[in-house]
Amino acid sequence: MRAVDVREVSFTYDDGTEALAGIHFRVEEGEFVAVLGSNGSGKTTLIQLLVGLLKTNAGRIEIGGREIGSLEAEELYQRVGLVFQNPNDQLFAATVEEDCAFGPRNLNLPEAEVQKRVTESLAAVAALPLRGRAIHHLSFGEQKRVSLAGVLAMRPAVLILDEPTAGLDPAGEAQMMQLLKKLNREEKMTVILATHSVDMLPLFANRIYVLDRGRVLQEGPSEEIFRHQEMIVRAKLRLPYVSRLMYEMKRHDGVPIDGLPLTIGEARAQLLELIPKEMILPGIEESGS
Amino acid sequence: MIDQRMPIRTILATAVLLCALPSPAFAMHIAEGILPLPWALLWYAVAFPFVAWGLRDLRRRSREAPWFKPLVGLVGAALFLISCMPIPVPTAGTCSHPSGAGIAAILIGPWLTAVVASIALTLQALFLAHGGLTTLGANIVSMGVAGAWVGWGVFAAARRFGLPWFAAAFLAGLFSDWATYATTSLELAAALHGEGSFTTMFSLILLAFVPTQLPLGILEGFLCAGALKFIRSRRPELLRAVPEGGTS
Amino acid sequence: MFDLFSDIFTYRDNALTRIDPRVKLLIALAALVAVVSAERPILPFGFFVLCLGTVAALGVPAKLVALRLAAPFSTVAVLVVIHTFVTGTTPLFTLTLGGWTLTAKAEGFRQGLFLGNRVLGALSIVLLLGIATPAHRIFQALRGFRISKEWVEVAILMYRYIFVLLDRVGDLAAAQRLRLGYRAPRRGLASFSALAGATIVHSFEQARRTHDAMRLRGYRGTMPFGPFPALKRRERGILLLGLAGILAAYAILEWGVAG
Repeated sequence: MRAVDVREVSFTYDDGTEALAGIHFRVEEGEFVAVLGSNGSGKTTLIQLLVGLLKTNAGRIEIGGREIGSLEAEELYQRVGLVFQNPNDQLFAATVEEDCAFGPRNLNLPEAEVQKRVTESLAAVAALPLRGRAIHHLSFGEQKRVSLAGVLAMRPAVLILDEPTAGLDPAGEAQMMQLLKKLNREEKMTVILATHSVDMLPLFANRIYVLDRGRVLQEGPSEEIFRHQEMIVRAKLRLPYVSRLMYEMKRHDGVPIDGLPLTIGEARAQLLELIPKEMILPGIEESGS
Repeated sequence: MIDQRMPIRTILATAVLLCALPSPAFAMHIAEGILPLPWALLWYAVAFPFVAWGLRDLRRRSREAPWFKPLVGLVGAALFLISCMPIPVPTAGTCSHPSGAGIAAILIGPWLTAVVASIALTLQALFLAHGGLTTLGANIVSMGVAGAWVGWGVFAAARRFGLPWFAAAFLAGLFSDWATYATTSLELAAALHGEGSFTTMFSLILLAFVPTQLPLGILEGFLCAGALKFIRSRRPELLRAVPEGGTS
Repeated sequence: MFDLFSDIFTYRDNALTRIDPRVKLLIALAALVAVVSAERPILPFGFFVLCLGTVAALGVPAKLVALRLAAPFSTVAVLVVIHTFVTGTTPLFTLTLGGWTLTAKAEGFRQGLFLGNRVLGALSIVLLLGIATPAHRIFQALRGFRISKEWVEVAILMYRYIFVLLDRVGDLAAAQRLRLGYRAPRRGLASFSALAGATIVHSFEQARRTHDAMRLRGYRGTMPFGPFPALKRRERGILLLGLAGILAAYAILEWGVAG
């Protein structure tokens, strides 16, 4: 079944800014989909429509097969959860525990179930030891993970994240992406990620939507998306650094540019193919892997 | 045993002497423990209906608009910070703090100002040793009731007389600041004059406030007007968010 | 001033922080009532020594304690001066000030000191309470005492977002300073007002985003609170012991019973 089905949706803000112009956007259950776009591309508007913070001007949005307007608020919020870009927007209670318990308590769950969910969601983001801490004593990376836990405690079928890695250091970024991958692969959670950072995506996302000025420029698996250097530049984005490096090398050497590598492993394989056999020193093959 | 008609010059001289003390001699709020039990309870009783009515208002309005409590909480946090910003008082040679009651009353109305003031004062008493739990009632009355209503009233009256809003906001900030301090002086004098004269004590404490509070009030007037000017130029629609504020 | 707003001590684990906040709040209130109704100096002074000693034993730096006590100390000084020159009859010494003669009086001096003593006693009780109890535990206790839900909810939001806004405002103030916004008094006042205005604008915007986030997790206008477990026997014991101790001290030191 389709987790999310957006058909022909447009949205114009009160001040006349057209944020989305008739876009189509589909996510199957269990998929990991990235919405890639520069600032002002409409990706934030799209996710706000998906969680019901905004209402469409035209078009139809279905969540889990039901039209979004026909869902009760309580039902909707258990189907989709949104993790905000800035954790401060979302962490409004005084302590980690109270913040995670906020959602389940709003659902009027019995206290034992509330506590169970708090424990599970904190464990899922590797933040159990933070349970009794005050929010304002957490580091930024910890705040990001705790705000994710607060949304997980609602047990949404679809998890939407706005720039989950923005502002994190490289280690924090890797940790966050691994957490999301685990949620997607092991807990079978549908994940939608809005971002403009491209380097990590090929490792995680099944499919990518590229948004530009309210329109879908392209949609498909990452190999397909990052094959189109011009389209990526037009969307005010860039290729992952590995692909970019390979692109420049191939262009410089006059080698036909088809199928850019997206990961370091792929890049290495391509390089080994390009370099004449007799120039490869014996031993590189073994030691490099 | 008490000289009932304290010569005016003794009062003045004592006031002069007070200026030599590390100023501002009085923090804005009455410190913990100064008021004896009966007075502490009395001011609690005076403050209670104002805060209770404000809470009733809050409950009613958040039923219609669920965003209302987060808004009051956030504006309250902003006002707390503003009241902690140090402004240099030239006459005292040190920094003092604005009360923020005037701008609060203009933004969210006097009833909600009492609620926000009661919370801010509790937090300050518990974690900053400003004011106190026993003197909480008295401090709510001077800041969240007297300061708020005077600020709100002056703003509304000045607008009705056709004054431009900048002038109205200036007067609101000025008089709400002075009203706060006058009320604080009154509360202190009432509780502390002992067997001496209330008037003497009151005028003494008031005089002790004068060198810092007279200019501070003027500064707070400018602060109030300047802050409103900033909001009006950037986000005028915000001023209409809370209809009971004086700006709608 | 926000160096003082350091609540890290309240998150330490010790015998005092482990006690139920309701118990601590009730004992502190009883102690405060005892201090402000005391008519002899010994009881407030006793609380001062006891509480400040405990604060020191908990390892709170003396500098922090001194900073927190600085403003109230100046209040005490003013009270002593006013009372010395205004109250009483027995001359202590005279002071000539620009042709005016002021007479310091013994009764006034004593009364001023008494008042100051009371301030210190009461203040040290609250200081200890604030150092042994984090804000969110106090909010819980207040809910337990059936203090208005609305009040506690707004208090929680205020407390949380004071720190968030402070970060933002701190950056703004630094930016203004870098652009020499505080060089002249007039510019200073303009910069200051802009800072206050910007803080309020930020607070409105943050309120909208925070409410969005709350709504997405099921908020409908009232923050849910956890249950309030009944006091354990041990905590009831501590409460009774504390209250009885205060009552006994009051009886002995104020009324002179059993003496």
